Amino acid sequence: MGDLGFAAQLAEDLSAEDLRLVLTVFRTDVQRLSGALGEAARAADPAGFRRAAHGLAGAAGAVGAGLLEQACRRVMAQGGLAPDARMEEMLAEIEAVARDALGDLDAFLARHAALPPRGAAP
Amino acid sequence: MTAPARVLVVEDTPTQAQLARALLVGLGHEVELVESAGAALAAARDWRPDAILLDIELPDYNGFELMQRLHAEGIETSVIVVTANASINAAVEAMRAGAVDFIVKPYAKARLAVTLANALEKRALAVQLASVKARLDRDRFFGFIGGSAPMQAAYRTIESVAASKASVFITGESGTGKELAAEAVHRASPRAGRNFVALNCGAIPRDLLESEVFGHVRGAFTGASADREGAARLADGGTLFLDEIGEMPLEMQVKLLRFVQTGSYSPVGSSRVERVDVRFVCATNRDPMLEVQAGRFREDLYYRLYVVPVELPPLRARGEDVLMIARHFLTQFAREEKRGFQGYSAAAEQALAAYSWPGNVRQLQNVVRNIVVLHDGERVELDMIPRAVRRPAGDGEWVAMPAAAVVSAGAAPEAAAPSARVLRPAGEAGAGSGAISGASSGVSSGVSSGVSSGADGEGATAVVPLAVMERRLILAALRQTNQDVPRAAALLEINPSTVYRKLQSWRAGGLLPNG
Repeated sequence: MGDLGFAAQLAEDLSAEDLRLVLTVFRTDVQRLSGALGEAARAADPAGFRRAAHGLAGAAGAVGAGLLEQACRRVMAQGGLAPDARMEEMLAEIEAVARDALGDLDAFLARHAALPPRGAAP
Repeated sequence: MTAPARVLVVEDTPTQAQLARALLVGLGHEVELVESAGAALAAARDWRPDAILLDIELPDYNGFELMQRLHAEGIETSVIVVTANASINAAVEAMRAGAVDFIVKPYAKARLAVTLANALEKRALAVQLASVKARLDRDRFFGFIGGSAPMQAAYRTIESVAASKASVFITGESGTGKELAAEAVHRASPRAGRNFVALNCGAIPRDLLESEVFGHVRGAFTGASADREGAARLADGGTLFLDEIGEMPLEMQVKLLRFVQTGSYSPVGSSRVERVDVRFVCATNRDPMLEVQAGRFREDLYYRLYVVPVELPPLRARGEDVLMIARHFLTQFAREEKRGFQGYSAAAEQALAAYSWPGNVRQLQNVVRNIVVLHDGERVELDMIPRAVRRPAGDGEWVAMPAAAVVSAGAAPEAAAPSARVLRPAGEAGAGSGAISGASSGVSSGVSSGVSSGADGEGATAVVPLAVMERRLILAALRQTNQDVPRAAALLEINPSTVYRKLQSWRAGGLLPNG
C-alpha cells in the first residue's frame, strides 16, 4: 500500500465513517489544490504556487501520504527561489505522486472495508 | 480520558481540520473549526476554548501573531502548535510565543490525547494559581474594602468557615465592621438564599430581648396585641447574628444556651416548642474570655458560640487600607451630595494616613462625610479635614469627633438598628433585592429611652425651647449610637446631612466645643 502506513493507524483511531470522511476530504483537497497549483503555474505566480503546495503538503501529511508531502515541500522550497523556472515540471511531478497516493488510498479503503468492523466477533 | 474540554482547531487545510475534529470528538471533547487567525481570535473571544490546536501558517496572519493577540486580549487558553517540522527551533519558537506544547503531523489519537491532557492540566493549574493569587491579593471582600495582611487573614477565615454550620464569634473594636463580617459569613455560605437576621443585643431593652429573639403570642405581656415572630423564626434556614452578645442579660443567656444546644425554643407566653435551623454568628467588642472570668458571660454559652473566632483588626493596624477606604467613601459621598471631589491632596492623605482612628472605619466614614457635606472642590485639602484628625499620630481622642460634627450615611459597618435587621435574599416576595427592614418596634423605644435618660439631666417631659429640645434629642441619639450619625439619623427619622448641619451650626454658635 505504498507509503500509506499511517492510514492504517487512522483506521485504528477513527470509526469507519470518520475514516471515510477524512479520506474523502483528502481526495477533494488533492483535486482542489492540484488545480490551484496548475493555475499558479500557468499564471507564473510563484507565491500562489507555494501556497497551494503548502496546503497539499499539509493534507498529505495529515493522512500520512509521506511521498506526496515530501514532493510538495521540495516544490515549496524551489518554487520560492525560482519563480519562473520549472513550475510546469514540478506540477507534473506532484500530479503523478498525488495519483499514486490516491490509488493507494483506494486500495487501502477497499481492503479496510473487507475487514470485519472493529470490536466485531471473529 | 480527561474531562470534556472545548477545543478550537485553527487549520486552513480541510483534511487536517476534519481529522483533528474526528479524533477530538472521539476523545469526548467539544470542537469548533476555523480556517483563519482572525476567525480564531473571534472564536476565542466568544467561545472561550480551553485549548487551541493551532496551525502556524494561516491565510491572514500566522499562528505566532495570533498567540500574541490572544495574550494581549487576556484570553487564557492552552495553545498546542501543530507543526510538520519536528525541529527544536520550531518547538522553541512556539513555546516562546506562548504555546504550552507542540505536536508533529501526522499524529495518532493517543499522542493527541496525551498532549491535550497535559496542556489542559497545565491550564487548570494556572487557573488555580491565579485564583489563589487573587484571593491573597484581593482588596475587596463582600462589603469590605482593604487588602492589608490582617484583613486577608480575616477574609480567609470567613471564607473557610462559611460552608460549615459552625458558630462564628467575631471580635474587634467598635467600628471595625463586625456586622459586615457576619454578613460575609452568611453570603459566602450555602445559607445565602435565606434570611440574615441581625439583632443588636445591646440596643434592646432587657425585658424585650426574649421577645425579640423568640417572638411572643398575643397577650404574653402588656402591649402584645398580636402574635409576633422573633428573630429565631425569621432566621430559620439562614443566619442569626447576635451583635453585642456580651450585653445579653444572664437570664437570657440561659435561654439562648438552650436554643443553641437544641435548636428549639418557645415564644414568650407560649408553651409550644418550635424548632428552627439557624446558624449563629456573634460579635462583641470586648474580650469574651474576660467577660466569662468576670461572671458576666456564661462559660457554657461561650464554648457553644466561640467555635470559630474571627478577629477584625483596628483600622490603625491596616496600613494603606485607610486611604483605600477614604477614597471609596469620598467617591460615594461626593456622588450622593453632588460634590466635585475627585481625590485628596498629598497633605490630606498624609494626615488621614497618620491618624490613629480610634473609632475605626466608622469614624473614617464620618470624617469623609463631614468633609464632603461642608466643602466642595476637586481635591480634599488638608484644611478641610477636621482638626481632631489633623492632630499628630497617637493623639487620637475620638470624643472630639461628634462635636466636630460626625456624620455619615448608609453603609456604615455595624450600622444595625436597635433591634432585628433582616437581610432577605434577592427575589423573595415582599422584599426587594437584599432588602433590609426593621423587624420590630424596638426602634422608637430605643430613641425614647436614650432621650429620657440622657446626660443632659432633664426629663423628656420638661418644657424647654424647641431648639434646645432638638439639640438634646440629636445629641442623645448620637450618644446612644456611639456617634454613628446614620444610625442616629435613622432613629430620629431625619437625613444624616441634617444632623451634620445642625452640629456644625451649634459648633459655630458656641453651643458645642470645637474639635
